[in-house]
Amino acid sequence: MTSGKVLIIGGGPSGLESARCVAELGGEVVLIEKRERLGGTPDRESYAKLTHHWRDASEAMAEMAESVTGNKKIEVKYSAEVKSISGEAGSFQVQIEAGGIAESIEAGAVIVATGFQHFDPGRATQYYNYYSFPDVITLTDLEKMLKENKVVRPSNGETPKKIAFIQCVGSRDRQIGNEYCSKVCCGIAGKQAIELREQIPDSKVMIFYIDMRMYGYWENEIYWPAQEKYKVNFVKGVISEVLKKGDKLLIRGEDTTMSRPMEVTMDLVVLSVGMEPSAGTRAVAQLMGIQQNKYGFIESGGAGGLDPVATSRPGIFVAGAASGPSDLDDSIAQAGLAAARSLASIRKVMA
Amino acid sequence: MPTTLENWNPGKAENRHPHVAYEEKERLFLEVKNDMRYSDFLYGCYECGICVATCPSARFYDFSPRVIAQSMAREDVERVYDIITEDIWNCAQCFSCVRCPRQNNPGGLVTILREVSLKNGLQETKDALQGYSRVIYKVMLKGNQVSPDMLQPDFFPDWGPWVTEFSANMQVWRKAIPMDSIRGVTDAAWRTDRKTLLELYTIWFESGNMEIIKELDESLYDLLTEVMQEELEEG
Repeated sequence: MTSGKVLIIGGGPSGLESARCVAELGGEVVLIEKRERLGGTPDRESYAKLTHHWRDASEAMAEMAESVTGNKKIEVKYSAEVKSISGEAGSFQVQIEAGGIAESIEAGAVIVATGFQHFDPGRATQYYNYYSFPDVITLTDLEKMLKENKVVRPSNGETPKKIAFIQCVGSRDRQIGNEYCSKVCCGIAGKQAIELREQIPDSKVMIFYIDMRMYGYWENEIYWPAQEKYKVNFVKGVISEVLKKGDKLLIRGEDTTMSRPMEVTMDLVVLSVGMEPSAGTRAVAQLMGIQQNKYGFIESGGAGGLDPVATSRPGIFVAGAASGPSDLDDSIAQAGLAAARSLASIRKVMA
Repeated sequence: MPTTLENWNPGKAENRHPHVAYEEKERLFLEVKNDMRYSDFLYGCYECGICVATCPSARFYDFSPRVIAQSMAREDVERVYDIITEDIWNCAQCFSCVRCPRQNNPGGLVTILREVSLKNGLQETKDALQGYSRVIYKVMLKGNQVSPDMLQPDFFPDWGPWVTEFSANMQVWRKAIPMDSIRGVTDAAWRTDRKTLLELYTIWFESGNMEIIKELDESLYDLLTEVMQEELEEG
């Protein structure tokens, strides 16, 4: 039977924005979220500040969540997962389990907003020793410390004075299988480097990179101020390994500017881990029978390639990092489009 | 110290000036960094290489304006000491490098580095400029830099292939294009107006240039001062 409802899977930034937009356009929404709270990865991983306007992430996510939980047209189901789906555009029957109880939902369209997960540095091809040395951490680990304004060396609780970021960990690497750029790590590393220099003014911060990809306004909002105002050093060259030297970390790489091999000691090494499809994204894509690309993200673009929220199955749309590495701005923009397209597809069936 | 298996460290740049204390290198570095022009000459470097691409010296010498900018930005004190004792004299000070998209001025950094090296009387600077005594003498006393016979291809490869042609047939060129030279010969520069010359002499003294010359080459300083003061007194 034809249904006017839109089912949204995932309560992160894309799911929340999709829900809000569908409701604003007059549609009804059922939003299902695997966790017991909304806010997605920025909330779960305790993001500190966002790259645009340096907004507090918890505050921004809470605002997005409130616009959904306070809306009568949106029903939110927590601790919920999709189990199966049948039907077609305009009349899907979706079996879910919410809080351990099986339920059946009728929906005219579906928006998949199941997001990404951070790359696990245990799989890195270089020898970074994330699981061996406590002072080798990831962007997400550092983000948590920055949020509490207490950045320390996990090994001894001391304030680090020499800090290195290593870019492209888990991205742009054929050996790992992730040939793509994760888009956001350059901006996040630059943002964190600025925050480090603010929180620890006598620190030296270096960012080792292959290419800096500070697209759009990240250039003037992050990259230039990091270099010019905060004196963060950007060094072209990837680090091949992190070794232990006394209680310091020795990093080894090439200083390509000076054309020579380089070894320097650091107090803290931060791995700029990239994005991979979340377990939820892989699972939902499989059970919905929608096409994934070779990296496991949901294939989008439609027949002409210019439909960024279309999936291979009519009536099912995708928004945010479920379809590939994406920053918040792009994810939210896609969410708005997915909302509009899902309602349009329902109305087409109803007409 | 000879390189042995024990002290060999491929990860560390060769310390080319081990006899100079790190503190001394750092002092010079800070003098450059604290120059009031520094913050306008160096913002941040992309390593895009446009400065090297436009640099005439980089084509002929082991010289890179990018490395100079980046060494300063990274506060690589050892490397900057290499630069202040060597690289800076390979710059032609043409400032082609200022087309930098970040608005850096590597040539300006070289200017500051040169001034600091001169003010501190570095031996390498004296050595580097020894061959230029005649040029300095001409610039400061006659108001012109190069006389035609100085165009020797071996000394100025960065001036391009035409120098060979010019220097080989200097007399013919002089006949073809008559110049208002001081004595009508090729070993002297073109004539500078007397009023201009006296103004130049005043500038050399007032701007502290003569002090730098004194630090560099005392006999040259004596020679220049004597002539200049005499001319200035005459008015």
